Amino acid sequence: MKRVWAIAGITFKEAKRDRILYLLFFFAALAIIASRVLAILTVGDRVKIIKDVGLASIQVFGVLMAVLIGTSLVYKEIDKKTIFTLLSKPLRRAEFILGKFLGLALTLLVMTAGMSLIFLAVVYLHTFRIEWTMLIAIAYIVLEVLLITAVAILFSSFSTPILSSIFSLAFYLIGHLSWGLEVLIKKMKAGAGRAAAQALYTFLPDLENFNFKTEVVHGLPIPAGIYLSSFLYGVFYTAFILGLAILIFRRRDFI
Amino acid sequence: MERRPAAARGSATFLLVLILLGTCASFMALKTRTDTIVRKKVPGSSIIYIPSGKFLRYATFGYSSLAADLIYLWAIQYYSTPTIDDRFDHLDHVFSIINELDPRYQDPYEVGAMIAVDGAREVVSAVPDLSRGRGRAEYARSLFQAAFAILDRGAANNPDQWIYLFDAGHIAMMSLKDFDLAEKYFGQCMKIPGAPDFTRRLYANALYKRGDLETSWRTWLDIYNTAPDERTKRIASNHLYQVKSAIDTGRLKEAVGKFRERYHRLPGELADLVRAGLVDKLPKDLDGGDYVYDPETGDVKAATSPWKR
Repeated sequence: MKRVWAIAGITFKEAKRDRILYLLFFFAALAIIASRVLAILTVGDRVKIIKDVGLASIQVFGVLMAVLIGTSLVYKEIDKKTIFTLLSKPLRRAEFILGKFLGLALTLLVMTAGMSLIFLAVVYLHTFRIEWTMLIAIAYIVLEVLLITAVAILFSSFSTPILSSIFSLAFYLIGHLSWGLEVLIKKMKAGAGRAAAQALYTFLPDLENFNFKTEVVHGLPIPAGIYLSSFLYGVFYTAFILGLAILIFRRRDFI
Repeated sequence: MERRPAAARGSATFLLVLILLGTCASFMALKTRTDTIVRKKVPGSSIIYIPSGKFLRYATFGYSSLAADLIYLWAIQYYSTPTIDDRFDHLDHVFSIINELDPRYQDPYEVGAMIAVDGAREVVSAVPDLSRGRGRAEYARSLFQAAFAILDRGAANNPDQWIYLFDAGHIAMMSLKDFDLAEKYFGQCMKIPGAPDFTRRLYANALYKRGDLETSWRTWLDIYNTAPDERTKRIASNHLYQVKSAIDTGRLKEAVGKFRERYHRLPGELADLVRAGLVDKLPKDLDGGDYVYDPETGDVKAATSPWKR
């Protein structure tokens, strides 16, 4: 584990030097603050607009950070040939992948915490109270971003940054469109086709499990069971993706 | 490769900057000119291709609430632009998209209905004619239907909210004078937990206005007996006076009409109706007072206004 944390520490230091991170953070902060101006245009509840834009900004920019930095994380090491130096040390390839993931995860946590502080401050300026319930939505956004990070690292372990970005974004889109497949399955007749579609639906990511934005903004009740269920879903799916990344990376020949 | 002398590099940079400034100035000038060219506008082209909310939901990738917000903000600006003549044509469609994207977003239901009702009033009196051949009254009616459609969606998506049924009843009663519809909406509204007491009074009033005096009497009596304060009791009492007066004067006018048919003249006084056997006895108003009869016209009315008791 010491080796994993060593790689994580180096990855964190490297990632926090990346200018893209601060550029995305700047735009996220701008979007969150600009929501105050946007809210002036509405008739009715202004805070709703601020909360929706704020949470969406944290999610969008969090995913962008994960994809843009994660997709070059492993590829850079291979491209600059520093991978040989690393793997010549008593470092397992699995430890390398896990260290990279943890390092980027820590970076994204810090960035999300920063965006969340700005968001809560903007909401506080309107409501004069700290909306702790927003943290529920933010916590699950973080879980989703960590899953996307794992996906970005998976693709980065065998593909170029551009293709990895496209695949990672495709994963994100599929994750938010999977309920369309559910609707299709309901219209299909029972049989092998429906069973195959059902299996595909179960296997494909369902990122809507981490989407509590609407419930939190409207103050709607959330079933207690879904907290643990969604959390474990995120943890296991992330573990699966990382496992896949480790498997591919172990077989990878860099010469 | 040989490096060019510094002077040559400097003049090339200068030339490049000049070209950049020149092209920038050119396209800015061209844009200003192009904006002055008037292009033919196809009615409804601004929003004619917006799909329904159900399909748009799939395209928002989990940001359906945000999409609802943005479309709502756009709708507010769009409907507050009086120069867009056809802006009311797709009002229900636009607000149905917002409602389907975020069914629990409350403001669009009320604001959408308000825009529809204001639009209906504007259409009736606007110059030029906004109906574009459909007829002002018909177009206004369609806008009122849009208002009810929006509020019905609000009530269906938010069964715990009384406000939409209240708004619909209010529109029916005050704008359309459709007391049947008002009674239906207020009747549903008052059953929702948390609905204010006055919705029951509005229901009772709608019953009175549409002529169901017996049910109106029973409802007002119940309100009187269960009134939580003196003010509500007074209001109910005034309405009970009004309803009883309507019931009694109605019966007396009917009897006057029968008297006239029988004797080809109006009765000299109300007691004549008793003597003629057309009524058993003369009713009294809620305060025990007599009704006022005009032998010249045959009109019967209460001695005082319910609101001046």
